[in-house]
Amino acid sequence: MIEWAILLQILWTGIAMSSYFVLLTVAFALTLKVEKLWNFAQAGLMGIAFFTMFFVVNKLGLPGWAGLTAGLAVTVAAAVALEAGAISVLRARNSGGLTFFIFTLVFSQFAAYVLTFLFGTEPETIYPSVMSPVRIISNIAVSDWDIQAVVTTIVLVAGLWAFLRFTRDGQFMIAVADNAKLAEIYGISANRAYIISGAIAAVFLTVGIYLYGTRAGVTPDVPLVLVLTSVIGTLLGGLGRVFAAGAAAVFLGLLQSFSILVIPSKWQAMLLYGVLFGALIVFPRGIPGWRPRRVQAPAAPAVASPSPAEG
Amino acid sequence: MEPILRIDNLCKSFGGIVVADHIDLTISAGEILGLIGPNGAGKTSLFNLISGVVPQDAGKIQLQGRDIAGMSLHNRARAGVARTWQHMRLFRTMTVLENLMMGPRDYPGESLLGSVLGLGRVRRAETAAHAQAMGILERMGLAQTAETIVVDLPFGQQKLIGLARALMNDGRLLLLDEPMAGVEGSNYETMQRVVHDEAAAGRAVCVVEHNVGFIKDLCTTAVFMAQGKILQRGTVDELTRSRELTELYFGTAEDAA
Amino acid sequence: MEYLAGTIILIALFVILASSYNLIIGYGGLNTVAHPIFFALGAYTSALLGIHAGLPMAVCILAGIAVAVLVSVLLAVTTLRISGDYLLIASLGFQLGLLQLINNMEFTGGPAGLSAVPNTFVGQGRGTIYVVICTLAAIAVVWAIWRTMNGPFGRAVRAMRDDELACAALGRGLISIKILIFAMGCGAAGLAGGLYAYYFQYISPEQFQVAQSAQILTMVVLGGIGTTMGPIVGALVLVALPQAINFLQLPNSLVGTVQGLIFTTLVILFLFLRPGGLVGHTGSQSSHGAAH
Repeated sequence: MIEWAILLQILWTGIAMSSYFVLLTVAFALTLKVEKLWNFAQAGLMGIAFFTMFFVVNKLGLPGWAGLTAGLAVTVAAAVALEAGAISVLRARNSGGLTFFIFTLVFSQFAAYVLTFLFGTEPETIYPSVMSPVRIISNIAVSDWDIQAVVTTIVLVAGLWAFLRFTRDGQFMIAVADNAKLAEIYGISANRAYIISGAIAAVFLTVGIYLYGTRAGVTPDVPLVLVLTSVIGTLLGGLGRVFAAGAAAVFLGLLQSFSILVIPSKWQAMLLYGVLFGALIVFPRGIPGWRPRRVQAPAAPAVASPSPAEG
Repeated sequence: MEPILRIDNLCKSFGGIVVADHIDLTISAGEILGLIGPNGAGKTSLFNLISGVVPQDAGKIQLQGRDIAGMSLHNRARAGVARTWQHMRLFRTMTVLENLMMGPRDYPGESLLGSVLGLGRVRRAETAAHAQAMGILERMGLAQTAETIVVDLPFGQQKLIGLARALMNDGRLLLLDEPMAGVEGSNYETMQRVVHDEAAAGRAVCVVEHNVGFIKDLCTTAVFMAQGKILQRGTVDELTRSRELTELYFGTAEDAA
Repeated sequence: MEYLAGTIILIALFVILASSYNLIIGYGGLNTVAHPIFFALGAYTSALLGIHAGLPMAVCILAGIAVAVLVSVLLAVTTLRISGDYLLIASLGFQLGLLQLINNMEFTGGPAGLSAVPNTFVGQGRGTIYVVICTLAAIAVVWAIWRTMNGPFGRAVRAMRDDELACAALGRGLISIKILIFAMGCGAAGLAGGLYAYYFQYISPEQFQVAQSAQILTMVVLGGIGTTMGPIVGALVLVALPQAINFLQLPNSLVGTVQGLIFTTLVILFLFLRPGGLVGHTGSQSSHGAAH
């Protein structure tokens, strides 16, 4: 018989653990939505963010906030440089999906090799210790890390929501996401929207990997595994639905936590890939009704060619 | 006349939009039937239903007495439904000849084994298809374009290649989706001549065109469609003289020329 | 000498992998990343049969090909109705999931892999024998792909890639075409796997990771997608150039990292300087993905 306290404990730990999944997934889903880009380069950015913070805190001996600031600055700069220096070039060339896939993936591998060269392959954490003070709240152990992670995630996600909802740049980003060409006709700069979304994603990635790296060891290969979770979450959330993707990340985090009760931990990754593959077999064109909402093309008479045959 | 295509009570709607509303239609060998009607009348949709691009909701489609309504797109082509496309849909990286060689409806060479081993049967089919393709190109005066990448041809000639590819299918039903649009001069005459010849040779031809002038040049009879229904069938002159239909179609009676 | 043989064998095997991947992705237009897993299936099947059943090498490798073909047909039947980007992601899930399975099973040796693949040829000439076998295999695979893609079947495959709807409306069953090229490409990957297992006598899951997909894909795209020579040139350049590092006498722990650095740098450079591929034709074919 499994006790309630244990289930609640797993629930809470699962929620806390899914915080970085949420941040990383939202970052991935946001670039996919705005830039229509499966941006595997985010793994490279995560690696850059983590090892910058690791270097500042661990090697220079500066406090955590300094590390986080440096990490944010370096990662946002790297993301903007990547966007302006490489991805926009490929986009201007009308490169196919495969080229973007190769470039973003290879960029991440390149970053991983550089980081291996500089920092080796031993797992590192940002602070020397991953222990964090624990208090017991109605029989459930809640650590400071848990609270910090959950609060940070809520604040950042709410901030993004407000940004998209209330600022001009946020609304421009959504317009570009819906139809970049149409947005440009209305004088909205797609490039600016791409760069801003890249920068926001960089912030989410940095904080996400900060949370991960204050709890578990990171090697240069870890970010690529984390990106795959983002892909699965994005897919389950439905393409173009950033916050649903975040919710799907919570679901995946909980699924992993609770699966401990049923299957050995070494099979957990299998479970994740199983969910991914199964979801696609059942829904070969994406989750129904969860597809990206699009602006109605203005001049298309609905009856002109309703068959899927043309165009 | 021998009926080639017979449609009974064909229905199809997408969401709330009805594109085929209890359509009955027969086309016979030697006939060139024009489909006219306003935008969105369901003309191209009718082609898509006949050729199997989209499945019908209800109704019967018979080709030479054989029920094809349940068949997939490619099996209907094999049964003898040949069609062209409004936007041609040529294989853009391939030569004119290669485009045509994709046309024969039954082709042994496309099984992997036959292809690798170059069995005699495959080689004979390949030779026959080659001869057939060159024959069609010669009829159109395009034999010299055989080795050209198809998208490098001028638009009018691409339209002719679209027809030529469909003609490689020796089935009895030929569906032409706006064959004349954008075709001028000698290409126009060639198109007209070849379509007439095919009908004379016993094919049943059905043509979608917006321009009534083209329909007059091509067709013997025509049907008028609107909102997924067939409103009237008659000679092209009868239909264009009908005031009611003319208003429905043209609204602003300009396109007629 | 043995080192040179190893390099030549690696090039030959990657020529097989890149050419067969090109068949699927370049000629067929099917965006999948699950290629290394069929390389793995061939390697593991032949290694396990060799170790436990003691069957002759040729039989084991044939069995490896058969398993790769069988699994590829299963995958094709279940996933080929999945469209576009989703197929890419589904194949990613398949690749990762199956590799995890291999990683977690007892009989595959888990993460440690299999190291006791029987040695078929002993003595001085071993490297040379494998060089001959692998080179012949590579030539055979390239020839078969070239032959089919320039025959009637290849015409249908290219037509399908250019316009699926028009191709089907001419009476071509697309599913059977797709299954055939998928089985053919994956079978070739299985062959490469069997040869790999027998020559190197050691296989482990990490040799078949998704990073390998990127590597093979890169060879295809950099060489020139949808061409016969492209994947060959791509494999040659991207296997040979990082090997040059071995002449620098670096400490062992650094060799892999530096090779990886060279590889990724080359890829990024080529991607921006030669976007059409090394085997040069510009535009029309390489842009087919974005054409419609």
